Amino acid sequence: MTPAPLLVCADLTRSFGGLVALDGLSVELKQGEILGLIGPNGSGKTTFFNVLTGLYPATRGEVRFGGLTLTGARPQAVYRAGITRTFQRSRLCLELSIFDNLAVGAHQQLDHGLYFNLLRRRALARQADATATAARELLEIFDPPLAARLFEPVAGIAMIGRRRVEICRALISRPKLLLLDEPSAGMTADETAHLMDDLLEVRRRFGDLSIILIEHEMSVIARVTDRCVVLNYGKKLCEGTYAEVSTNTEVRQAYLGLA
Amino acid sequence: MDLLAQYLMNGVMLGLMYALVALGFTLFFGVLNVIQFAHGDVLTAGAFAGLAGYALVVRAGVQASLPQLLTVVLAATLSMAVLGAVLGRTLVLPLKGAPALNVLLATLMGGTALRECIRLFYPGGSQPQRFPALLPSTAWALGRFTLRLDNLLMLAAGMALVLGVSLLLQRTRTGLAIRAVAQDEETARTMGIDFRRVVLFTFALGSALAAFAGVMNGLYYNEVNFGSGLLLGVIGFSAAVVGGLGSLSGAVLGGFLFAGLQTLGAVVMPFASAYKDVFAFGMVILLLAWKPTGLIGEPLGERV
Amino acid sequence: MTAARARVRSALATLVLAVPCTLLLYGFLAAESEGKVALVLAGATLAAALGWRTGLLGWAVRASGQGGLALGFALSGLALVAAFHEDPFVLLLLARALIALVACLGLHVQLADAGVPNFAGAAFFGVGGYTAAVLGKGALPHAVVLLACGALAAAVGSVLLLPLLRTRGHYAALITIAFGLLFRTFFEVNESLGGPQGLKLGGLEVLGFHFNDDRHVLGLEWSGYAFYALAALALALAALSLVRRLERSWLGLALDAVRLDETAAACFGVEVARWKIGAFTLGNALIGVAGGLSAMMVGFIAPNNFTFQESLVLVSILLLGGLGNLAGLAVATLIVVCLPEKLQPIQEYRYLLFSVLVVLVLVLRPAGLVRRTARRSFGSAAA
Repeated sequence: MTPAPLLVCADLTRSFGGLVALDGLSVELKQGEILGLIGPNGSGKTTFFNVLTGLYPATRGEVRFGGLTLTGARPQAVYRAGITRTFQRSRLCLELSIFDNLAVGAHQQLDHGLYFNLLRRRALARQADATATAARELLEIFDPPLAARLFEPVAGIAMIGRRRVEICRALISRPKLLLLDEPSAGMTADETAHLMDDLLEVRRRFGDLSIILIEHEMSVIARVTDRCVVLNYGKKLCEGTYAEVSTNTEVRQAYLGLA
Repeated sequence: MDLLAQYLMNGVMLGLMYALVALGFTLFFGVLNVIQFAHGDVLTAGAFAGLAGYALVVRAGVQASLPQLLTVVLAATLSMAVLGAVLGRTLVLPLKGAPALNVLLATLMGGTALRECIRLFYPGGSQPQRFPALLPSTAWALGRFTLRLDNLLMLAAGMALVLGVSLLLQRTRTGLAIRAVAQDEETARTMGIDFRRVVLFTFALGSALAAFAGVMNGLYYNEVNFGSGLLLGVIGFSAAVVGGLGSLSGAVLGGFLFAGLQTLGAVVMPFASAYKDVFAFGMVILLLAWKPTGLIGEPLGERV
Repeated sequence: MTAARARVRSALATLVLAVPCTLLLYGFLAAESEGKVALVLAGATLAAALGWRTGLLGWAVRASGQGGLALGFALSGLALVAAFHEDPFVLLLLARALIALVACLGLHVQLADAGVPNFAGAAFFGVGGYTAAVLGKGALPHAVVLLACGALAAAVGSVLLLPLLRTRGHYAALITIAFGLLFRTFFEVNESLGGPQGLKLGGLEVLGFHFNDDRHVLGLEWSGYAFYALAALALALAALSLVRRLERSWLGLALDAVRLDETAAACFGVEVARWKIGAFTLGNALIGVAGGLSAMMVGFIAPNNFTFQESLVLVSILLLGGLGNLAGLAVATLIVVCLPEKLQPIQEYRYLLFSVLVVLVLVLRPAGLVRRTARRSFGSAAA
């Protein structure tokens, strides 16, 4: 007997005017699983993330996560349910410090009461300290030098560092599901390998973190994913382990242009 | 019935003025994605430039009203075309890529400077100035409604101008360049289009249109005031927004729609005529709340 | 031991900062001819440049800390009020600057923190003024009336919330511009609140203390405006402390997130609309209270007091002071409010000069005069 899947997306569809960017996609994800999402540019991978996180309402279909129905949920509700994400093009607040960016990620753990924030300054300082400790812990895993630069603005940090900060922002709230949109873009093979090691390390520490990973680098997909879904023109082309998927002729045709 | 015709005539005149102002806003937004908020004050400056031109030819002894009229129109449009290009060059182009609010504030302040210059330096500029009646005063009485030749002439000239701009954009190389820049600046540049020249030409064109609207406004009300551009600017901008910024036909439609609403307000609530500007601004807010990106929405295919 | 030393260091830094500032301000306010004003301005520029170059200014600001800066501000204000206790013109000017600072702090929460534009600042200031004029005549205690000024300004502002939340950037700005113009026109044509002539107000009275009366205290003759200046100083300090605390807390962080990237903020649970509403409302409340106090002090309120021009001036002060920089904001407010009054020949040209100045700043220094710095920690290490 298998446990109920963590995430169930059924017949998820999103169209923009006449363009169907996501076409009846059904995906399931088990707890603790790493799912790779691959497909050519414009095949609907990022659209899937945007629909899942509530940025675009789905035209049709439903999303269930844990015991909740997230169909049509707002992004805030999706976050509270335990799904966080990174963006394809880094969306950190550049003029804020690393700490501030991570604290935005920890939004739901922080006390936003007026009385607490304006008058209980000591308790606020303690909460800030605790948040800083949590932020340092995460940064120590992904990019130890950045832990020492916690209060520097993100604008002064190199692109690679920013990507790692963005992943930490998505992890600091201890989500159940992490959506990574091309985390290795702009990284060397070495840096990518490191990043994946770090992710696996985090998953080991957090216990039951599940990940959906959009990635163009097939070696990464081969190494870290348990299962892959291949998208093309918004539709699921096929699904299976990387080994199964990579030998599928349809996939090779669509993706690699091979006959 | 007669009264309605009177209202209709007034509404159409207003609509045309709003449309001319809105055309400028939509042109600027099309090529540069900015709001040039000094536009309303350019209109006022145009009217005052026309007035100055009139004073000069009168002093030179020109009596006939046709050359006087031509001088007024040319002085207004040409000087404002130059001023528009200068504003584009000094206020807007340097701020390309800056936050939208900076451009807005810079042009608002540029407009303030223009307004203050008129108030402080134009002889008697702080008081409303009489605008000469240069058009033939022939009028036909149709019942209680008087059809005035000068209104008809202005209407025809304004319509011709709108049509001309539309033809310019659709049929000429310059128009093609403007449309190309509006579609995609990068591509237009790589196709060898001189981006700066196109932008400055567009600013000149839009500002000349505003100047013409300013002269129309002066001729219609026989008076110009240093502060009147602010109101017309806001209304013109609203008209452009309502029609969808960047859309040419939308701007014209928005102008007439706005005038229509104002006229409707005057017809339905004649007792509240003092509140007509309150009504206009209230409409702006309501329209934006209802359709945040304008009635026609984000123009994709139809941009300029 | 180290705590005591830190305290001495902070006190010293506060003195280093406050004494020259107070002296320069004194000289500026006391100067009777344009030449003297220019001389003081030159001195101020020189002092600022020197402080900047030697790093003394930066050190003093850092070392005196939040408490020190607030204390310095308060003491400097008190000293100036005491020094000019008999000069109603200077006291009025001082009070006006402090009240304008409160209004600008309100705008700061809206624009610099939450990124909600408000080009109708003067209109909300006017709401406060009219509220004070109408309610001040009744039996309500004036402290309550001042709070009502803020509440009413916030309530009037809430009419704009729906359109503001549905729009962004230019469109949102246009809504506030339209509102500012609407508001003024309305009060001009509506006779029930005095029309273009406006309304007269009695002075502020708290617990039987009439602020308008000149009186003899501590062996000195005090102009009534001295008490208004003190009230304005207290209000400004309260507003400064409020905004400062707000910005250095999770609240300020949430507002930053909303301003900088609504989409990303929403993906991390930030209720964007709720924060915008909160910031806009708080800002308008501050502006409204300032407007109420101002109207009571000046003694009348008319539509001409809240033109679109004045709204633009408020936004521009924000820009000149540097968004996200409260000290800069205070300096900019002081200069913009006081300079034209002291230099009578430029009075008539002030809007022109001011608009040209703002345009120059925008074109030459698009990031504002003072660059925004990242928030330092508000954890215990930084306290």
